Amino acid sequence: MPNSAGKRFKPTKYIPVSTAATLLVGSTTLFFVFTCPWLMKVISPAVPLYNGLVFLFVLANFSMATFMDPGIYPRADEDEDKDDDFRAPLYKNVEIKGIQVRMKWCATCHFYRPPRCSHCSVCDNCVEDFDHHCPWVNNCIGRRNYRYFFLFLLSLSVHMVGVFSFGLIFVLHHREKLGGLHTTVTMVVMCIAGLFFIPVMGLTGFHMVLVARGRTTNEQVTGKFRGGVNPFTKGCCGNVEYVLCSPLAPRYVLDPRKRPHVKIQPPFIRPDLSDQQITIKVSDNGMHSTITNSKSKSSIDGLDGKETQPPLPPKADRYNQLKGQLTSSEESSLSGKTHPSTPAMYRFKPSFGTMPKVHYHTAGEKIVMPDGRKNSAILEEGVRSDYRSEPNLDLPEYANAPLHRTFQSSPHQLDADPTNSHTLSLKQGHRRPEKGQLQALPPQTVASTAYKGVFSPNTLSNRNGSLSYDSLLNPSISPASANECMAHRGMPSMGFHSPYLPTKMCHIRESEIHRQQVAQTYSPVMPPRGLGRQSPHLRDREPSPVRYDNLSQTIMASIQERKEKEEREKRQMLHGRSQTHIYVQDSGVFDAGYGPPANASFLDGPRGHGSRGPTPPAYGGSRDNLMGVGLANYGQRTPVLRHAGTTLGRAPRTSSTSLHTDHSSSNSSQGRAPSHEGSYRSPTHKPRSPAMPRSPSYSHQKLSYISAHDRTDSPRLGGQRYES
Amino acid sequence: MAETHSLQDMRQQAAVAAKVFIQRDYSNGTMCQFQTKFPSELETKIDKQQFEETIRTLNNLYAEAEKLGSQSLIEGCLACLTAYTVFLCMETHYEKVLKKIAKYIQEQNDKIYAPRGLLLTDPIERGLRVIEITIYEDRSFSR
Repeated sequence: MPNSAGKRFKPTKYIPVSTAATLLVGSTTLFFVFTCPWLMKVISPAVPLYNGLVFLFVLANFSMATFMDPGIYPRADEDEDKDDDFRAPLYKNVEIKGIQVRMKWCATCHFYRPPRCSHCSVCDNCVEDFDHHCPWVNNCIGRRNYRYFFLFLLSLSVHMVGVFSFGLIFVLHHREKLGGLHTTVTMVVMCIAGLFFIPVMGLTGFHMVLVARGRTTNEQVTGKFRGGVNPFTKGCCGNVEYVLCSPLAPRYVLDPRKRPHVKIQPPFIRPDLSDQQITIKVSDNGMHSTITNSKSKSSIDGLDGKETQPPLPPKADRYNQLKGQLTSSEESSLSGKTHPSTPAMYRFKPSFGTMPKVHYHTAGEKIVMPDGRKNSAILEEGVRSDYRSEPNLDLPEYANAPLHRTFQSSPHQLDADPTNSHTLSLKQGHRRPEKGQLQALPPQTVASTAYKGVFSPNTLSNRNGSLSYDSLLNPSISPASANECMAHRGMPSMGFHSPYLPTKMCHIRESEIHRQQVAQTYSPVMPPRGLGRQSPHLRDREPSPVRYDNLSQTIMASIQERKEKEEREKRQMLHGRSQTHIYVQDSGVFDAGYGPPANASFLDGPRGHGSRGPTPPAYGGSRDNLMGVGLANYGQRTPVLRHAGTTLGRAPRTSSTSLHTDHSSSNSSQGRAPSHEGSYRSPTHKPRSPAMPRSPSYSHQKLSYISAHDRTDSPRLGGQRYES
Repeated sequence: MAETHSLQDMRQQAAVAAKVFIQRDYSNGTMCQFQTKFPSELETKIDKQQFEETIRTLNNLYAEAEKLGSQSLIEGCLACLTAYTVFLCMETHYEKVLKKIAKYIQEQNDKIYAPRGLLLTDPIERGLRVIEITIYEDRSFSR
């Protein structure tokens, strides 16, 4: 008789079962001792055999009904009912074969009782297919032991009938010796049998009807299906078959068995994000930060093949890939625009070459791309490097690495293709080295972390990161980054000191930790231009520097170089001041100078130059959109990236407006660009602020060119990057 | 002890992030079937097809366990004839299928769910009421 755990010993509950057992065994024993020998002699030996078998059957079923687990449900774990306990409704409806069945919440067991389940107050357990609690066996009758109980009833009835009948025969044959021992005992046995005959037969008949109708005692007594249909019936034959022939149900309350230990260790495989998923992330921007974070993480993992590198590099790579996709699309759209920028880029390129290219090899790697696809590849690389540059911007290491790389790549690229390809290559060079560097330089991670801290919407960026997938879908983003790169590149190409700007900027970047500042300067520049969105807020956002880096090392290098040249003297002063301010100013100046001319050349390079003014707002807007997307991308990847993304979004408005606007304008569709720009701006602005004043005009022009180039290139780059 | 060892292993495992419970599908009565609806929490963790395949296989296995076939009939008759002493030495049909299910779940965990940071819990431990899927945090741990 299973008892609930913790119940104290109650002897009274054993009285019925003891009585029943005693009566059953005792009576039958007496029958066998006193009546059966004569019956065996007179009638047949088969009589005691038959009675013996029946009695054995009765005993077996009685034991099973008494000792078998009726189907007790174990208590639900706390995890399962976390939400249900306090807020859950008392009943839960479930449809079974078209009929509504109510499931009641069990407060003791902490789950909604499955259909036909009931809680036994005596046993303090929920029992599956609860029939009733039988005191004669001191056990609940449920799914597992109902068959034995039913068979017990049947066999007991048969046994009682047999005992009574044979006793009667004996007594009738011993009427003259009624006082004899055997006769007396037989009569007592007959009386017991006769006494319990009615209840047992009654119960047996009752259960036979229940089995035929497919109901439990509980359901019958509570009148559940009084007027309605029983959804659990399988027809008369089916029900009988179910009761008698179904396999023995398993025990649920099992001994704690040793579960095979499954090792679960990250990183985990993630499924390919479907478009739908990405879409969801976008729309839920801000809502599912955690989800997207995980998603972005997953996506990141997926992209990185479960890399366990510091967050920055993998994310940067990923972002670059994403950007690559985007830029590729942008490229196609911007191909036309790259023409005007080509000369600038071309001009700019040599400067890169002059830079001491520590990471030249990385750039070279990129340049290795097949000539035929050089442009696209270059773009991709550039885009990638942009990503990297984000973190680089934040930290000197970052700056150095990407800058160098970009510069290195640029010369190559120049050689490769004087026009678009150059710019593209520049970007690539920037991008690749940046990326590689990111990975190679753990400090970059730190830098990115710094960005993270600055960049408030880290979570947002995570979401954005996931959005980066979206950005993949929306080529708007990547081109933005690409454009930014181009813009940066354009700066040098503007002719200021273009050939040397990149290198110088690289140097400057290295030496400066104010890359962020430079980037920020860009952002402020943007707003003045009219983007407005990104007004100094962007600057304040530190992530933008990251993006600035991502835009393109070449561009940044050129910009920085410009700035540094002009502000070398000021730098110390600027350092004293808040860099942001400086940058803002610079950016403003830069913007101003940059804006109109840059816009003109940059934005309208293909289109027309005068659009700078009006364009920035347009860009800003587009960029904002893009940046929003890009931000997502950034955020996802790494903190730096996030910053980049966000800054990009914002960047277009501020100093980077000049750059970004150009980018954004071109990248408006790309989305990524803004993000790039934003981030790009912040880091760059900071360091740039000194540089900005130096060559605002240049920067503008260059940026415009660069951006134009970037724009055209970014799509390609993005696309390629993504492929890579 | 193996248990201790497993505890140590568990400590080194990823932390539990969330749990998803796949409820029973009672549309066909009380036969053991689980809902194949793909929970939203697993959207980023595992492919829908894979998940549904797992649940469908489990449902089929449980249907096989509860089938009123010849094997269950023979078992019942034998049990009756031997006064149920046969249960002391023989495994019932349902128990055999449960072992098969446990093996299947273990295999699914090892191959598909654990690499994705998920863990299926055998529903028999929950009274065949729910399939508990534990979602682990996706963070690289340093062991």
